[in-house]
Amino acid sequence: MSNNRVSRRQFLNYTLTGVGGFMAAGMLMPMIRFAIDPALQTKAEGDFVQTSQKIDEITEEPIKVDFTFEQVDAWYKSDVTEAAWVYRDGDAIIALSPVCKHLGCTVNWAGDSAHPDQYFCACHGGRYEKTGKNVPGTPPTGPLDEYEVAEKDGFLMLGKKIPNTLG
Amino acid sequence: MYFNVKDVQQFEAQKDFIDTAIVPLLSLDFQEQSIKQSSSAAEYLMSLTAFIEQQFKGRLMLVPPFSYTEQTKSGLFVPLLKEELHNAGFKHVIFVTCDHSWTSLQDQIDVIWLPAIPLESMDKEVKKKVLEDQLKQVIPILSSKWSQS
Ligand code: FES
Repeated sequence: MSNNRVSRRQFLNYTLTGVGGFMAAGMLMPMIRFAIDPALQTKAEGDFVQTSQKIDEITEEPIKVDFTFEQVDAWYKSDVTEAAWVYRDGDAIIALSPVCKHLGCTVNWAGDSAHPDQYFCACHGGRYEKTGKNVPGTPPTGPLDEYEVAEKDGFLMLGKKIPNTLG
Repeated sequence: MYFNVKDVQQFEAQKDFIDTAIVPLLSLDFQEQSIKQSSSAAEYLMSLTAFIEQQFKGRLMLVPPFSYTEQTKSGLFVPLLKEELHNAGFKHVIFVTCDHSWTSLQDQIDVIWLPAIPLESMDKEVKKKVLEDQLKQVIPILSSKWSQS
């Protein structure tokens, strides 16, 4: 038998490894997809969450509105409470995310007494104007995100987070 | 920040900004007459520290709680822990606990002691209010730390 002929044992080995690997992949792929899939699903698109804030009580002064929704993280369901800074601009209701665009702390309207008409981030002194526009020279590099808003029976509903549209 | 890979990577890249470690010291008691109260205190401490994390995410890292029982407590060398976290780049290391006995180490470590409040009987709104009130006790301590540097 010449040396480079594949022996019966080698042949079986190769084919079995090949087939085995193929089978394992065939089994694993759906399992992996199954495992990571729920983690990728957050709030369903276009879902609005009801708040307890009456629309006609919203003024030009931003107020904090809390809202809670269920978040599914893999198999683990939990209630997440988030907040929005909400104010009126003519006929429009504006809802801004309180999450600082620097490293994610929560900003507060009039949180710094030296700047009573701005949002303030206590972590590294980030500041934003009422429309969410970041104040140059402070750490944040972009404006606060916005929430889609809707109304139901006179109450405010909050939807998806979207990039700031107020410029 | 939480002690997970994503946040830790961010910490490594932003050490100048993320300069504070929050370390819960969690007492567990499995004896029949105290296990329920112990679980309630644990729930409270975890909720409160998670809330602190949410508010100050960009400046602090909440590390997993150091848990102990009365018997195993002596094996926990908290000042050493503080050293290790310092060496890892955390300028401020703050321990948060419902166990009053840690306040005796106050000259060596920064410890915030808060008596446990039973949250389990409260509805969502009240719970939120309570946590907000408790947070108000913590904020001045954090800001005084932060203004030192
Ligand atoms: S996280 Fe807001 S300024 Fe750094």
